[in-house]
Amino acid sequence: MIYPEAKFSPGGDRYILVEFGNEMNLELNFLGQGLGAVIKQSTIKGVIETAPAFASILVYYDPDLIGYHDLVRELSSLINGLGSIEEIELPSRLFYLPCCYLDPWTRECVEDYQEKIHAKQLDPELVAELNGLSDVDELVRVHSGTEYWVASLGFWPGLPFMMPLDPRCRLTAPKYNPPRTWTPQGAVGMGGASTAIYPVSTPGGYQIFGRTPVPIWDTQASFPEFEQSICLFKPGDRVKFVPISEQEFIDIEKRVADKSYVYNVVDYQKFSVSQYKNWLNSIDTDKRF
Amino acid sequence: MMIEVIKGGLETSIQDYPGRIGFWNQGFPQSGPMDSWSFRLANLLVGNDVGVAGLECQLIGPSLKFTDDRVIAVTGANMSPTVNGVAVAMWQSIQVKSGDVLTLPFASSGARSYIAISGGIDSKPWLGSQSTFTKAGVGGITGYAIKDGDCLPLADKAEVIPCQVKPECMPALSKDKTWEIEVVAGPNDDWIDQAGQQRFLDIEWVLSAKSDRTGFRLDGPDWTFTNKAHNKAPEHGSEPSNIIDHGYPLGAINLAGQTPIILVSDGPSMGGFINPYTVISAAFWKLAQSRPGDRYRFKQVSVEEAQDLRRVLDKKCQMSSLTHLI
Repeated sequence: MIYPEAKFSPGGDRYILVEFGNEMNLELNFLGQGLGAVIKQSTIKGVIETAPAFASILVYYDPDLIGYHDLVRELSSLINGLGSIEEIELPSRLFYLPCCYLDPWTRECVEDYQEKIHAKQLDPELVAELNGLSDVDELVRVHSGTEYWVASLGFWPGLPFMMPLDPRCRLTAPKYNPPRTWTPQGAVGMGGASTAIYPVSTPGGYQIFGRTPVPIWDTQASFPEFEQSICLFKPGDRVKFVPISEQEFIDIEKRVADKSYVYNVVDYQKFSVSQYKNWLNSIDTDKRF
Repeated sequence: MMIEVIKGGLETSIQDYPGRIGFWNQGFPQSGPMDSWSFRLANLLVGNDVGVAGLECQLIGPSLKFTDDRVIAVTGANMSPTVNGVAVAMWQSIQVKSGDVLTLPFASSGARSYIAISGGIDSKPWLGSQSTFTKAGVGGITGYAIKDGDCLPLADKAEVIPCQVKPECMPALSKDKTWEIEVVAGPNDDWIDQAGQQRFLDIEWVLSAKSDRTGFRLDGPDWTFTNKAHNKAPEHGSEPSNIIDHGYPLGAINLAGQTPIILVSDGPSMGGFINPYTVISAAFWKLAQSRPGDRYRFKQVSVEEAQDLRRVLDKKCQMSSLTHLI
């Protein structure tokens, strides 16, 4: 649900969490991103920076410049002034990203976890079973059957938090308990209804079942896509995973290494919320893609 | 105009204060010194502004050779510093000459020492900060901890009046390996039931060896949850501690499954686990100075109390905390 009023909670002496609702949908994400944008333009003193997410935004402030309750009041007034989401139309790039599903590298990582940390079902099998899919091949079809909306970047530099735009491809999964201590670079996985790509080898809590050979962050700016930012994505981009074989993975990895790889990006598209909603109304969202 | 690194130490990194600000929404942590109290005082002792880039040392310190005359200071954990093998005092300005070698063998109490040099380290800022974030390989000289043979460039030195820190303005390290850590409830405390919250505050938590600048793992009993954690939309994830991913405050006590992890300077900016409590900024130095096996007892304070404690600490990080050496 979308909360009738935004919920404010303190994070220690210098953070406020603003939650707009408790589900994953585009509208809540627009509220978080929208509030982040207006805070940037506003003259509220004491706000240092923000981290918008799926249905919330975390605000980092300097308590020497503004108190908790004053900041809550300022933020409430900015939230009330946010325009109608229906009218939002924004430029959105679409990335076609090669993904080797059911790959040996994430499998090796999960088996290492099973052996050293905690016995658990293999990630693709677990996600398929919990979502009522017939097998892991159906998991691959469903997971690669939708465009994903980049709702925010976080956890690690450049890591995209993404939600499926086609509700018929929606899957959910528990997060690891306890988390992994390592994850292969480029691993694709999900937790809750969120899908993410691990930019580098990091700890992690998502169920992993695929891997992309394509870098999504690059401090050396080896490719033109990184000239503006070391992170490939920005919120509002979309990602479509293209299933590839292990051999194709290795071929692309080589082309990445010798810098001849060319990113497949469509960058002149506009995303319209009202058109998206019209399309949602035209499909049977209870069906599985 | 540089420092030659003879030995790098265990994990000595270049940090500035407050660190890397402005890239949180791309997933960059703030980084910066874990014990910014000791860090700021070190800079003041050598005539620098409080935020100028210096070195953070962990448990085993470096051996550094100077190539010009400088004033330096060592603060934080007691690593028994020597210059050319002769013991030198901590918490005060030290004159070193070209060719002198500063050595910090190991910490006899506390965990992190800070070295400031008049003028400061002149590495190239990366995204606005010199702070090293080793897990992503950015900042500092190479993106990683300093190592044997590195050369650390120095900025022009300033005039320094030799000073020392008043004893009452230094952090008091725990003598019995037990620390009282102030926390504020939230942002996700309503996911933990009353018994769980009481248990968190009543028992002693043990700092695990699996801890570093990204997270401090704690060992203790299991947590219990409210209905909210058990009855929620599937997009949160099915474990009770799972939540729709949101931003993590620095200092959040992040409940990953059943394992609480305090998210510190290089910690993740966002994720899908609840954060029932957040360590206040004025208590960060205690985390920085504790070691695996140390025990934490958490004390709940209000936001306003936390902000007052921050102001009290900030007052101790000013010139008024120093006295001139005669």
